[in-house]
Amino acid sequence: MITFVYRNQTVEPLFGDQGIVYSGYDDISQVPQDVDSYIWCYQVPVNADSAQLAQEIASYRDKLDLVLSKADNNKPFIIFSLVNLYPLKLTGDDVAVDHAVMDFNRHASLLAEQHPHVKWVDFSEFTSRYDAWSLVNWKYYLMSQSLINPKLAHDFQDWWQQVERGLALKRKKCLVLDLDNTLWGGVLGEDGVDGIKLGGDYPGKAFSYWQRALVQLAHNGVILAVCSKNNETDVQEAWDCNPFMELKREHFSAWRINWTDKVTNIRDIAEELNIGLDSIVFIDDSPSERELVKQMLPQVTVPDFPEKPYQLMPFFKQLVERYFRIYAVTPEDRNKTQQYQANAMRKAQQARFADMDSYLRSLAMEIDIIPADDFNLPRIAQMTQKTNQFNLTTRRYTEAEVRQRLNDGWRVYCMSVRDRFGDSGVTGAIFLEPIDWDTVGIDSLLLSCRVLGKGIEEAFMGSILNLLHEEGVQKVVADYIPTAKNGQTADFYDRMGMECISIADDSSKHYAMSLDKVFELKDYYNIKVL
Amino acid sequence: MNLENQVLEIMREVFGIADITPEVSQKNCERWDSLRHLTMASELEDAFDIELEPEEIAEMTDFARVINMINSKLK
Repeated sequence: MITFVYRNQTVEPLFGDQGIVYSGYDDISQVPQDVDSYIWCYQVPVNADSAQLAQEIASYRDKLDLVLSKADNNKPFIIFSLVNLYPLKLTGDDVAVDHAVMDFNRHASLLAEQHPHVKWVDFSEFTSRYDAWSLVNWKYYLMSQSLINPKLAHDFQDWWQQVERGLALKRKKCLVLDLDNTLWGGVLGEDGVDGIKLGGDYPGKAFSYWQRALVQLAHNGVILAVCSKNNETDVQEAWDCNPFMELKREHFSAWRINWTDKVTNIRDIAEELNIGLDSIVFIDDSPSERELVKQMLPQVTVPDFPEKPYQLMPFFKQLVERYFRIYAVTPEDRNKTQQYQANAMRKAQQARFADMDSYLRSLAMEIDIIPADDFNLPRIAQMTQKTNQFNLTTRRYTEAEVRQRLNDGWRVYCMSVRDRFGDSGVTGAIFLEPIDWDTVGIDSLLLSCRVLGKGIEEAFMGSILNLLHEEGVQKVVADYIPTAKNGQTADFYDRMGMECISIADDSSKHYAMSLDKVFELKDYYNIKVL
Repeated sequence: MNLENQVLEIMREVFGIADITPEVSQKNCERWDSLRHLTMASELEDAFDIELEPEEIAEMTDFARVINMINSKLK
């Protein structure tokens, strides 16, 4: 992997020399095509003439545009926001430089909105951790043109790793929370619904802020769950009757409020939500509960909990930055809590029907099959990164890699599902690779676990087979690659009527089928191919 | 760890060379470039809690001079 860095100052101590190529200082003459990604990391130069400096900053915008127009738009292009590290004002009303910096940053963030391959990184998130004296080391600046203190290089690398992780869409899915002394001060069973510390003055105020912040996390697609040793009726009463309660029943996708040990409860929650233990972060004020979960469920992430309520807000920021930050939230993420709850309602409905078919018919399912485009591509890449259970080959792709395959003549479709309980959004994808003039290979086929159990996987693949059949494709080949998590798909292609041609040493299976007839789809799916 | 070994360790880390010896100098070591030179200086400042002036950093062109400089600072 090679990254090409545009810079106007020395940034080598920050990014290092592994897989990085640097432009000359403020040199945009080279726009190499044979690299894997680009970074634009300019800093505001040191110049006491503010009018001149503002003009220079204004020129960065045009330079950036020029480079961006020549860069390979299949490769990620990351733009750092400009930060003025030496904000010098000879008069208090001299805002020319401030405005120039704001203009550049607004322009860069708009570019990121308009172009899927462009990402904007807020560099002040790093620089604001330091005061002006530790941020800039003038001795080293004057010796090496490096405005950022090289002593901060290690810190920068830690931060940058977290940002990159966010850009690559790898984050935890679920936050499991304890209640007493975690979401509020005090013990509900002893202090009562109105006696717990929540709202009002400190420390209740601290817990209110913390709860409000967690609500926002839920709105941004993180699944919240409760695991608490309490009487459930007490908690339900607190949710209903305590006027300061911000985080209520509707924000939680699952809860285990009982006297069973937390290890069993967390396992149960993971099973109910259909997520892996490794996508869970567990928050509890009790060191012994944390230790137990750490020992028994090493896959679960267990951060230390702050000793004092006033440390909750910095703790929240840390949680977000370490585990839950992604670059952009898709609409599917925002609705996730509702979707997991709608699933619970569907399950209740299921119990009332005599047979599966009449239940499925009652759901009034609508399936849209949509070719990959700029709008759904981030979600498709995200699904290849996150889907583990119903995933036939578990091949992970970045946005750029998906785009590359489309350019290579592959066809990628995604699937979106609605039923009378709600819209699950884009929840499936298939990658079709041209093998031969009459043969197509299924490189990847995956469905989010939220839509499983309704025969949608068969309807989805069946529709694709029919589409290929109509186009005159004669033969389809596919692989199943086993992983620790995708056991439920081991015989999916057999069920779809494909023939297993060979089994490799690692138990992966190779399938083929000739497309000589139309695949029968159940009539209760309303399927549209767009 | 004595001072020499500690300095060698820092150089090994900064220059990214496993088999570094006390004979190392800016002349005979390609990876000892001007940027790593500053990184080394900044690491030495931290490790020994000293403050090096730009002129002093410029003089530290081989292992022996580095050691002498640090010794003079520590006195």
